[in-house]
Amino acid sequence: MHIPDGFIPLGQCAIYYVILIIALYFAGKWARANLDEKRIPLLAVLAAGIFAIMSMNMPIPFGTSGHMVGGALVAIVFMAPEAAILVFTAVLLIQALFFGDGGITALGANVFNMAIVGGCVGLYTFKGLRGIIGQYPSIFLAAWLATLVSAVVAAIEMAIAGTFPLTVGIASMAFYHAFIGVIEGVLTVIVIYALEKFRPDLLAWNRE
Amino acid sequence: MEQRVEGEIMELSQQDKILIVVGIIFCLALAVLSPYIASGDPDGLEKSAEDAGVGEDVESAVIESPFPDYTYEPLDKIGEIAVLLLGGLITLALGLGIGYALKKSN
Repeated sequence: MHIPDGFIPLGQCAIYYVILIIALYFAGKWARANLDEKRIPLLAVLAAGIFAIMSMNMPIPFGTSGHMVGGALVAIVFMAPEAAILVFTAVLLIQALFFGDGGITALGANVFNMAIVGGCVGLYTFKGLRGIIGQYPSIFLAAWLATLVSAVVAAIEMAIAGTFPLTVGIASMAFYHAFIGVIEGVLTVIVIYALEKFRPDLLAWNRE
Repeated sequence: MEQRVEGEIMELSQQDKILIVVGIIFCLALAVLSPYIASGDPDGLEKSAEDAGVGEDVESAVIESPFPDYTYEPLDKIGEIAVLLLGGLITLALGLGIGYALKKSN
């Protein structure tokens, strides 16, 4: 769901950049208070892994494809959406600058959708459901919902931008991302399961 | 700054070195596989743009990226693999840089 240059008018891009700067301020504050040296390799490996997984588009029905995003994953692993903001600013900046994937003018909007919306929806859905339906079902649903809500938010941004009509945009984005969210959910569960098995010390909920 | 980061990486625990190696292997594996098996169909956003009748000309890159769509034309598939791996390594380095720059102060 990388928004390219041209889909959002520059004036509106500026608003998302202001949101990005504010978000980075809070993410920096979070890091100085919480990011101990032991978890820096994890942050970097998640960033590199997310960069790589985004190249693996998988087919979904109706001649469409999608890849894992990972906003929910990072937010859940660190129990902090701020970590997702740091990771996605790095990943999306490199993708925009070197690979033309996602516009540089749309960077603020793309970080907003994937890290802030995706990270918050993922983390708080997980927190809310974990005690009710169990750890892994809640991780799956959190990641699925994060994908869906991020896509709907992107559709609303496209409508404000005048690029997509609101109803067609929301219907299409929600429909395709309901499938892509299944990929997101399965892979998020696999990564967290692997961390729990091999490096439980890296998961925030095992530390506090 | 560079030296400082390097110096600190040397102090990584064995487990963290393994984590980084696993990350690099994961990037390498996807860099090798993606050019061959990733779906070339439009993604959810591109397909939605089609559904909404957004013209091809609406998308207009502001900067000229060196490796558009993860390709390096002169080397074809090898180029795609190389730029994907390069991207993964740059991202890893940037992630480490951001981490060390912002880490918890004692």
